[in-house]
Amino acid sequence: MSLFEEMQQAIIDGKAPVVKELTQKALSEGIKPADIFPKAIVPAMDEVGRRMRDCEFFIPEVLIAARAARAATDILRPLLVGDAAARPAGTVVCCTVKGDLHDIGKNIVAMMLESAGFRIIDLGADVSAEKIVDAVRAHDANLVAMSALLTTTMVNMKSVIEALAAAGLREKVKVMVGGAPVTESWARSIGADGYGKDAPAAVDLARSLAAA
Amino acid sequence: MEQVKTHRIVLQPTQVELTAPAGTPLRDLLFEQGVEFPCGGRGRCRGCRIRVREGSAELNDAQRERLSEEELRNGWRLACQCSLAGNLVVELRQWDAAILADDSPFVFEPRPGLGVAVDLGTTTLVAQLLDLTTGHVLAVRTALNVQARYGADIMSRVEYATAGDHLPELADLIRRQIASLIDQMIFSSKSVRAEIRDVVLVGNTVMHHLFCGLDVEPLSHYPFESPHAGLQQFRASALAWNLDPQATIRFLPCLGGFVGSDVLAGVLATRLSESEEIGGLIDLGTNGEIVVGNNSRLLCASTAAGPAFEGARISMGMRAATGAISQVVVERQQLVCHVLGNAAPQGLCGSGLVDAVAAGLDLQLIDPSGRFSNGRKEWTLATPVVLTQSDIRELQLAKGAIAAGLSLLLGRLGAGINDVKKLYLAGAFGNYISRASARRIGLIDMPIDQVSPAGNTALLGAKLALFSGDDEGGSYGRLRRKIEHVALKSDAKFQEVFVDGLAFPQLSEVQS
Ligand code: B12
Repeated sequence: MSLFEEMQQAIIDGKAPVVKELTQKALSEGIKPADIFPKAIVPAMDEVGRRMRDCEFFIPEVLIAARAARAATDILRPLLVGDAAARPAGTVVCCTVKGDLHDIGKNIVAMMLESAGFRIIDLGADVSAEKIVDAVRAHDANLVAMSALLTTTMVNMKSVIEALAAAGLREKVKVMVGGAPVTESWARSIGADGYGKDAPAAVDLARSLAAA
Repeated sequence: MEQVKTHRIVLQPTQVELTAPAGTPLRDLLFEQGVEFPCGGRGRCRGCRIRVREGSAELNDAQRERLSEEELRNGWRLACQCSLAGNLVVELRQWDAAILADDSPFVFEPRPGLGVAVDLGTTTLVAQLLDLTTGHVLAVRTALNVQARYGADIMSRVEYATAGDHLPELADLIRRQIASLIDQMIFSSKSVRAEIRDVVLVGNTVMHHLFCGLDVEPLSHYPFESPHAGLQQFRASALAWNLDPQATIRFLPCLGGFVGSDVLAGVLATRLSESEEIGGLIDLGTNGEIVVGNNSRLLCASTAAGPAFEGARISMGMRAATGAISQVVVERQQLVCHVLGNAAPQGLCGSGLVDAVAAGLDLQLIDPSGRFSNGRKEWTLATPVVLTQSDIRELQLAKGAIAAGLSLLLGRLGAGINDVKKLYLAGAFGNYISRASARRIGLIDMPIDQVSPAGNTALLGAKLALFSGDDEGGSYGRLRRKIEHVALKSDAKFQEVFVDGLAFPQLSEVQS
């Protein structure tokens, strides 16, 4: 098994200490930090996403794998600052909407996006439209990812989209939404750019929206 | 075609008359009439005792063990062990002075007149008409909550009420429905309408607000606290109920957040607040309410388990009704499914789901991670009923939420699961679930002899409230102050504990 394959396996198995060790080994062998992302972390997390979609992996396995991936990204991030070859795939402001404190799904989505190479600005839960607008501006984000788990808080996604428009930012950012009660048609009706039913779908969606 | 023979059964004292095919288990017939089976109908307790007045019911070893010779001679039987073999007239023990027989320290003063106790659930209602002098139940009625067509769960109902200003409509619907249940009970028991003095209702915070006509907007978003969650009292005239105009209708006070007076009633019924030992009460419904504590301090929370235990969001899930697989056991490596109502299997209800997953774990068809082993996609329990991978995931979310809530509440109390001496399972589902399976899936991590099904504690507590009142005008202020509501959503450890609790225990962890 090549070093990259070994790293992928360790991430999928959720073995953070092994991932850390292998990352350091790769660096000491002279592998470029910017290469580790696309060759080890991204394919590993894509496989995790596939297994999640096939119901093979559930929340604990996904979180453990994401934590393992983080063992690598924590080492690599500081080395990549200013490296033009390692530009993030995009900057995502993510949060759970106002009135709602369910954040487990949002956390998983954020971790998966992070290991897919996105820069994540996680605003947490119960976040107001103003805060989202401010963060988009401050971090020059090109994506907003919102989560809602309650029938009664879903409507707040619409207010966020309106607030972004009012602030003149709607053209600049793509908005994606998700969470158990959210549906494709709801997303369309509030003028969101996309809906994802689970974390792997969120990654695919973010990739296509960032490329558009 | 062969004609299926039917028999008639008359229940006393309610005088309900039913007809059913020969061989129908009495358990299935009586369950629909509100009779409870504390051990889940396994012949392990005496809770479902009936006395055969006319006709005969079979006798087996389970009954010989639980009933004395004298009781047997006098016609006492365990309903769960009998089936309909001929026409029958039976007397239901549960409808008899349960309160008088209870040696509780409650100040029970027999008083003239009649009273009504109502458990107003999100999905179902149970009402009983009682003789306040003797404590006898004169009539019982159960029904599906009419509001359910405007949303199955509390949040969708809150949404319906707030989004289109439908609050008056929802309040009117439920008030009319309960009035009509009371009418039916008066009629069937030939009681005198004017003798009804007192009606006590209990239910969760949303049901409380929607009955009382209070604004539910504060319950639609964080922090989910309403300023009007206290005791609400009405005169019959104010609700336009056809009773003595001075009759009082009390909706008991909520405990905080979504935790309502059904849980307060549960504390009254189980007397958690009177014992020095730490005890707990869990309602395995959609909101997953939990109370833990003792006579010095009690904590409560709702864990939002979701409807998996009620068979919802399960691919072949259904309520515990005819055709539902309610029990699954492994005998000599073979699956044996019990189907309610002696019918062909149609689906899986909550107790069957828990049993099925426990059996899958024992047979090693399901890994502790919750995944089917060997790449299996689904598992046929009894054709055409199957269990799918996503059904197992739904159950994991529900049981993880309950287990996390229990562990976090105990943590705040400075206690651990081993300090809990008695855990009561409330509600119909608590009666039917197998405690061994509940332990096998890690829902309740304690020896099963410390776990007891407590029946409809909400209704029992409402009845106690009819008889006792309290010294603070029926508001149960003292007890309420003892019970602290904990908002789990603000607990930073929730995610970690919840995620840890999603997996199932290894076999070795549950063998003690
Ligand atoms: C855990 C939980 C809680 C925890 C939350 C802890 C936390 N830190 O998040 C606690 C106990 C605190 C809680 C509280 C409440 N809860 Co709650 N809760 C749940 C539960 C059991 C699981 C939710 C969950 O975490 N799922 C796992 C995650 C991973 O799934 P997910 O969030 O759907 O995310 C996935 C996808 O949707 C998608 N996704 C998510 N976000 C996004 C975003 C984007 C952009 C994209 C593309 C994709 C995407 O990807 C994720 C991963 O694949 C559900 C019931 C259930 N069985 O589902 C109820 C549930 C969501 N809760 C419910 C309710 C009502 C509440 C309360 C209001 C009531 C109460 N009884 O206390 C409170 C309110 C809390 C608040 N202020 O928000 C209801 C909602 C009903 C409704 N119709 O609105 C549910 C459905 C239970 C029920 N009663 O039926 N809850």
